Amino acid sequence: MDNPSSTINPNSTWVNLRGSWLTNILIMVLLRLGMAIVPGISSEASWTLTNLVYNASTFVMFHWVTGIPFDLNQNEYEGLTLWEQIDNGEQFTPTKKYLTALPIILFLLSTHYTHYDFPTFMINLASLLVVLVAKLPSMHKVRIFGINKGYTD
Amino acid sequence: MASTLGTYAAPLVNDAARDLADSIIIAVNTTFTVASRVYSSIPGSRIFAKYVKASYQNDPYRTLLEICLVIFMIWYFGGKKHKPGDDELQLTEKEIQELIDEWEPEPLVPPLTEAQRTELDKIPVISGSSGSKLKLVDGRERINLASFNFLGALNNESTKDKAIEALRKYGVGSCGPCGFYGTIDVHIELEQEIAKFIGADAAIVYSQGFSTIASVIPAFAKRGDIIVADAGVSFAVQKGLQISRSTVKYFKHNDMEDLEKVLEGIQRDQIEKKKPLTRRFIVAEGLYANHGDICPLPKLLELKNKYKYRLILEESFSLGVLGTRGAGVCDHFGVSGKEVDIIAATFSNALSSSGGFCCGSKEIVEHQRLGGQAYVFSASLPAMLAVAAVEGIKYAESHPEALARLRENAVVMRSTLLKNVQQVQCGGVEDSPVVHLRLRDHRFRNREDEEQALQEVVDEALRNGVLITRAKYVNDQELFLPPPSIRIAVTAGHSRKEVEKAAAIIATAVKKVLKGRK
Repeated sequence: MDNPSSTINPNSTWVNLRGSWLTNILIMVLLRLGMAIVPGISSEASWTLTNLVYNASTFVMFHWVTGIPFDLNQNEYEGLTLWEQIDNGEQFTPTKKYLTALPIILFLLSTHYTHYDFPTFMINLASLLVVLVAKLPSMHKVRIFGINKGYTD
Repeated sequence: MASTLGTYAAPLVNDAARDLADSIIIAVNTTFTVASRVYSSIPGSRIFAKYVKASYQNDPYRTLLEICLVIFMIWYFGGKKHKPGDDELQLTEKEIQELIDEWEPEPLVPPLTEAQRTELDKIPVISGSSGSKLKLVDGRERINLASFNFLGALNNESTKDKAIEALRKYGVGSCGPCGFYGTIDVHIELEQEIAKFIGADAAIVYSQGFSTIASVIPAFAKRGDIIVADAGVSFAVQKGLQISRSTVKYFKHNDMEDLEKVLEGIQRDQIEKKKPLTRRFIVAEGLYANHGDICPLPKLLELKNKYKYRLILEESFSLGVLGTRGAGVCDHFGVSGKEVDIIAATFSNALSSSGGFCCGSKEIVEHQRLGGQAYVFSASLPAMLAVAAVEGIKYAESHPEALARLRENAVVMRSTLLKNVQQVQCGGVEDSPVVHLRLRDHRFRNREDEEQALQEVVDEALRNGVLITRAKYVNDQELFLPPPSIRIAVTAGHSRKEVEKAAAIIATAVKKVLKGRK
């Protein structure tokens, strides 16, 4: 049923392109620069905002929205998140490794350049952990907190 | 005396120990010096040191946490590609060889069990062609109540002649699938005739009865769609529901209140969870093969319109049986055939041919020419069978008295049975020709025991001149396995007297078997 070569899922294949890898970094840089432009913002706040925006948007994109926008192989991917669709559900693929490393590196950079107080540090850490846990192989097709409870296959 | 041990420790130990300690300390020191030199020669090492220093910020826990994150990243990078759910059992050559040596192939045809052996031996062998009456190999004539020859059109002479004529003209088989040279004029004619007979816009002919409905349902219902089906549908419909990969919900057999409850539940669920709109179908049979009763079509139509569903009706047993014209359950309730979205049935019951058809609107039919798997991937119906099916329709149209006789015979069969023996019940409505005879008020050890008793009744009836059969199911694949029964197929090919006689013989057989088992 899920023979990887039988169908190509255009909803997830673009994530594997080197261009989209680069775009990820570009977006991070632009986010950080954009946040820094806000007048009167402290470096802690701008880094925190960068972290939060990046993590939240990738969470929604990769781990929240399910299905694909068009009809493919009798809706085979109905109810699967984009992360689960990438590389047909295979784990530890280069794309997944790359996309897992990015938020960690962003977090480490941000702690380096700032003097977070305890609450801000925890906010940053929490947002990082949420995206990391969602990416774990053991979370494949697992739905918690009622997210996509109706997953059946 | 200068020693690296210092002035306090030095006098307490002897010279040899002192020298040893000195050399150890020197070795440690040089190692550190070399290490730091090597470290500083690595490009970027200063940046790293600066980074650690800066992010340390007098908080060892923080550094520890960051190290944990880095370790996690390294662990993730070292992860091996795999697919969740795949068993990664690695066997050595030797283990593989052992498994191969150990393997003993199961026989292609396993030896029969005792029950299977007796069942096989009990299958009657017919000599000559089948019909309302037939001869077994022992040469004696039997009344046939086992074939679904409801109109008595089986072995009709004029049909036979027409079929032979078609055989001479077109040959035995068609050349290929309908899409590839398989379609000839008689198929088109049959499609038009059956659409006219049912009162639908168009029809499509399939080459096999069972696969018709099993292909029609998945042609329209796909993964994620919703099907609400009667729990009493026959095996072919169940297979269709299964292949469709849709979400299937069942309602109690012929229970319209339960159906409404199910439909309401789905509606509520869809509104609450804001589910996307999908195709939705209600699946029912006209006359239930496994129960012998008729679906309440007007109520079904009302509900499907109220909740906006499409109705798929399987009419294999109602076609040529119900209604004033014999056009099925729509005819029975005086409803136009266009009201039902999809009607599918086989030609092999009352119409005494083979193959099946599906009718509905033009779009419904045309969709199946590329979307109906059994239509696309199967050779088309042999021309002679298509001609026989047309003749079957004509027979039904031109013999309204056969329909009346069929209903009368069904009534007679039920009443005579119930009059002659008390310990049975007859499933189905009064004038339905499918009679499921079940034993009542008798304790059986298990299902096999009950089936055994029914088989004894069948054998006893056969000895006395009536051919009947148990209703046989693929027990472990039926969704809701119906209770064991003898399935009597009443036909219009018998006179009232013959039906009465047959019913009396069956009743006597039941009494005899039950008496013997007490």
